[in-house]
Amino acid sequence: MDPEQAQKHIEDIEKGEQLLREHPAPEPDDMLLANIKAEIALHILPRRAAVYKRIAYRAAAVAAAIIVIVAIGTSFLEKPDDMGSKPGKIYASVFPWDHHDSAVYNTRLEQIESDLQTLELGDEDTDNDSTVTELELESIEIASDFWKG
Amino acid sequence: MTESVDLDQIIVGCRRGDAQCFSKLVDMYSSRCYGYFYRLTGNNDISDELLSELFVKLVEKIASYKGGSFESWLFKIATNIFHDFLRGKQRRKKLLEVRKELMESEVTEFKKSDNEKIDKLQIQLKRLDADTRELIMLRFYSQLSFKEIAEMRSEPIGTTLAKLHRGLKKLREFVEG
Repeated sequence: MDPEQAQKHIEDIEKGEQLLREHPAPEPDDMLLANIKAEIALHILPRRAAVYKRIAYRAAAVAAAIIVIVAIGTSFLEKPDDMGSKPGKIYASVFPWDHHDSAVYNTRLEQIESDLQTLELGDEDTDNDSTVTELELESIEIASDFWKG
Repeated sequence: MTESVDLDQIIVGCRRGDAQCFSKLVDMYSSRCYGYFYRLTGNNDISDELLSELFVKLVEKIASYKGGSFESWLFKIATNIFHDFLRGKQRRKKLLEVRKELMESEVTEFKKSDNEKIDKLQIQLKRLDADTRELIMLRFYSQLSFKEIAEMRSEPIGTTLAKLHRGLKKLREFVEG
C-alpha cells in the first residue's frame, strides 16, 4: 500500500467513524455503575485481608525461624562440661530422693531386718521387748524419712 | 499530559487497592467499554454483565499492568471477555435466543411509527462479518492508533487498515443505502 493510498484509506475510515458518532450507543445505566463500584469494593476487601494475612504468616514464619536458630545456636555454644557447674544454675532431680540416699536407706533397712531375725531366734542376751520396740520405732522413722525424700 | 499524569496517579491508587481510584476508572471508561460491548452483542443485559466482568477483571489484574497504553491493556481484556462470552456454550445459546428476539423486535420496530428512533446502525452492523465488526468497534471505542490495534491483533498494519477501510465503507453503504 503506497502512502497516498494509505492516506485515502485513513480519510475513508474517518468518514466511516463519523457515521458511528452520529449513531451513539446507549450509555450504561447509573444503577449499573453504582453496582459495579460496590462490587469492586467487595473484591478489594478480601484481597486486602489476604495481603495482611500473608504478611502475618510470613512474620510468624520468620519469628519461628529466628527462635529455632537462636535455640540451636545457644545449645552449640554451651559446652557439655559446663552443664550444672555454672553458678546460679540448680538442677533438681526428678525423684524426691537421690540414688545415694536410697542406698543408705536400703542398707539400714537390711540391718534392721537382720537384727529382728536375730532377736526372733533369741541369739542375743538382751531385753527383747524393749529392743524390738526400739527397732520398730527406728524402722517407722526411716520409712517416714524415705517417703518425705 | 495532565490527563496522563492523572491516569498514572489513579492507576497507582488502584494498585494500592484504593476503591476511590477504581471508581474514577469506572467513570472514565464505562461509557466507551459499554458502547463496545453493546455494539458487539446488541443487547443491554449482556453488555451490563460484560461490563461488570470487565471491571472485576480489572481489579484482579491491575497488578499485572506494566505501563504503556492503558486503553490498549483495558481493551485487550475487554476483547478477551467478549471472546470468552462467545465461547461459553450457555451464553452462545443465550445469544442465539437474543438474536432471535432482536430479529423479531426489528420486524416489529419497522412496523412502528417513524417517531420512534430505530437504531439503524445496530441493525446494519449485523450484516458485517464478526471479525470486521469487532475491528471497527475496537478502533472506535478504544481510540487506539492503527499501529496499536494491529499489534493487539497480531497482524500487519496494512491488513488492519484494509479491513477497517473495507468494513466502514460497507457499513456506510448499508446505512445510507
